[in-house]
Amino acid sequence: MTDIATRATRVVRSPGGRRRLNGGGPRAGTIFAFVIPFFLPFVLFYLVPVGYALWQSVRVVRRTGGQYGTSYTTFGGFEQYGKVFQNDEFWSSIGRIGLFGIVQVPVMLFVALVIALLLDTPLLRLKSAFRIAAFMPYAVPGVIAAIMWSYLYSPQLSPVVDLLNDIGLKPDFLGPGAVLWSAANISTWLWTGYNMLIMFSALQSIPQELYEAAKLDGASNWAIAWRIKVPIIAPSIVLTTVFSIIGTLQLYAEPAVLRQISSNISSTFTPNMLAYAVASGNNYQQAAAISVVIAVITFVLSFGFMRLTSKRAGL
Amino acid sequence: MSSTVTRIRLGAVAVAASVAVLAGCSSSAPSAKTSAASCAPAKGKVTLQYWNTVPGMDKVVALWNKKNPDIQVETKNISNDQYGTLGNALKAGKAPDLAQVGYDELPNLRTQSAFVDASACSAATAAKSKFVPWTWSQTSFGNTGVFALPQDTGPMALYVRSDIFKKYGVAIPTTWDEYAAAAQKLHKADSKLDITFFDPNNAEWFNGLLWQSDSQMYGYSGGKWQVTVASQQSKQVADYWQKLISGKLVRTDLAHGSTQMYAAYQQNQIASYIGAAWGYSMFRDNLPKQAGKWTIVPMPTWGSDGASGDWGGSTVAFMKGSKHLYESVKFNTWLNTDPEALALENQLGGLYPAADAGLQLPALSKGVPYYNNEKIFDVFAASSKKINTSFAWGPTQKTVNLALQDAMAKAAAGDGTLSDALAAAQAAALKSMKDQAIPAAAGK
Repeated sequence: MTDIATRATRVVRSPGGRRRLNGGGPRAGTIFAFVIPFFLPFVLFYLVPVGYALWQSVRVVRRTGGQYGTSYTTFGGFEQYGKVFQNDEFWSSIGRIGLFGIVQVPVMLFVALVIALLLDTPLLRLKSAFRIAAFMPYAVPGVIAAIMWSYLYSPQLSPVVDLLNDIGLKPDFLGPGAVLWSAANISTWLWTGYNMLIMFSALQSIPQELYEAAKLDGASNWAIAWRIKVPIIAPSIVLTTVFSIIGTLQLYAEPAVLRQISSNISSTFTPNMLAYAVASGNNYQQAAAISVVIAVITFVLSFGFMRLTSKRAGL
Repeated sequence: MSSTVTRIRLGAVAVAASVAVLAGCSSSAPSAKTSAASCAPAKGKVTLQYWNTVPGMDKVVALWNKKNPDIQVETKNISNDQYGTLGNALKAGKAPDLAQVGYDELPNLRTQSAFVDASACSAATAAKSKFVPWTWSQTSFGNTGVFALPQDTGPMALYVRSDIFKKYGVAIPTTWDEYAAAAQKLHKADSKLDITFFDPNNAEWFNGLLWQSDSQMYGYSGGKWQVTVASQQSKQVADYWQKLISGKLVRTDLAHGSTQMYAAYQQNQIASYIGAAWGYSMFRDNLPKQAGKWTIVPMPTWGSDGASGDWGGSTVAFMKGSKHLYESVKFNTWLNTDPEALALENQLGGLYPAADAGLQLPALSKGVPYYNNEKIFDVFAASSKKINTSFAWGPTQKTVNLALQDAMAKAAAGDGTLSDALAAAQAAALKSMKDQAIPAAAGK
């Protein structure tokens, strides 16, 4: 163990170490030993399933005749992808979460940023208590959170709905127009604290001297927040935005749970729900093609956003 | 309790499991032609695998194991993700000898070559006379094979809050016309009261209503499945419920089996329930305060023939790859026709038997305290005998049900009608069969 450690130190220290590593026998072995715990699961549980989905997505089912003929799969080229692009349900699910993301992501990140900035001011007391309180929802598993909220939305059981009814408002959280935003609310509740924490840790790493200098120049707390803190933590904001875009495209648990009590969430409400519905009908090849398309869209959107903002954010 | 309820509804676990399923897709292997199954008894001791979703089934199997040291049965409860588990096991070539399969999933699994025909065993073919007629036509696919033995059924009936009907002087309806009239009277008498609820996310229930109306969703001729999901008879049912929905005479915001549904019944907002035999324990167990207020009568009828419908129920299927068909038939026959086994399944799992012998069980001929000591099972037994025997399910029923539900939900929200929903389901049936390379055409 100590042997490995000292050798590793030497690797880091020696200036030409990198190049020499390629040819080095024992050193390559060491690197391999360190990398394998990550690499093996990465291949088994990430690359292999992705590859399998790709392979499935170019297969089609054929059948020998008769009412209950035997089925087999064969190569079908891009047939499954053609079907995905012609599928209205798919595009309306994409449109739905697009709307969801355009509204929910900025709202959530704005709230997260405000909380992070508040926690970073010297004015606030009981900071760690607030920090934990804001982070707490993230500790609740998504499905449990959705079940909890579904009780709060339910007209039969919710004290909140009762209260609102009593003061003359007649809310219908599960109605056709509202249910998307009810799901968005759950996501926001779940993820704001997580995003806040990323921004907050970025704020913590800003050297105090900067603030002192700004103060000497006569900057108010407000100006320090918007002119110094926010630009410096911009990379974290970009990062949380990318995470949120990915999360939005993969939305599943919240609407799937709300679906149990509201018929206004269809089986094809989000792209992932559509993929699941198709798979449950034994059409694994089509489900694989849908999954691949979702992955490509996610990739394009998140990397596109990173490129778009990288210069300004200094990434 | 019935598998139907647990299968259809809820479960954080189910949602979590389905997330997992998303990750791993499987392929269907090109399978060799099924050779005719032989029915030779094995030499020596045999162990069978039997997967099911029935509570307490392990105890029933323990009884068998005690009596049959040479044919031991191992059970596994797969109620978490019944068809996902089965489908994956099939693709991996690790299916059990016997598995519980709902009637509406039989054609789907058969198109995946999941079953073995047990008709080589005389004990299997001889069992035909022991079951309620409609169940046998489903397990044999209206033909001569024996792919499964019927286990339980869900003959439908009308659950009525007799106290509410009495209070407002409304007679208990016997036809659907009377039912609609009663719906109006009750709602007029109390604006917060509805005769029942229509759950748009419950295609299985709606299918039971279609079954009752003499609809045929599928046929087979000319080498093709004939899809008649949106037939005239089905439209009659759809139009009927559309009228009740448009007139705001039924609730559409309650999911079957949900806490919200029980709360609505608890708060006396709903006066009746169109349900199956297995539903009797739902009300007994979830609404104990309403003991004595419920009565069960035959389902309202369309015509003079008094036809009834079925909602739910299961079979125990002979799975492909089983090496012990003879023993499987022996156990399966005992499990689903022996009075002792049936009594235990009814007591522990709440199963309403598909076997005629089961309908005569002492437990099913007594009065039930919750229902004023009425002999409610006589109603279900009568219903069971009036179920159309030629009704058949399609090979992509799950997809069709989802499409039907999505469109029924739109109709309930005022976007389109239930008739449109049938058309959407019809289209989904044709499309999904095409995707699975199953020859299909729109039937008349």
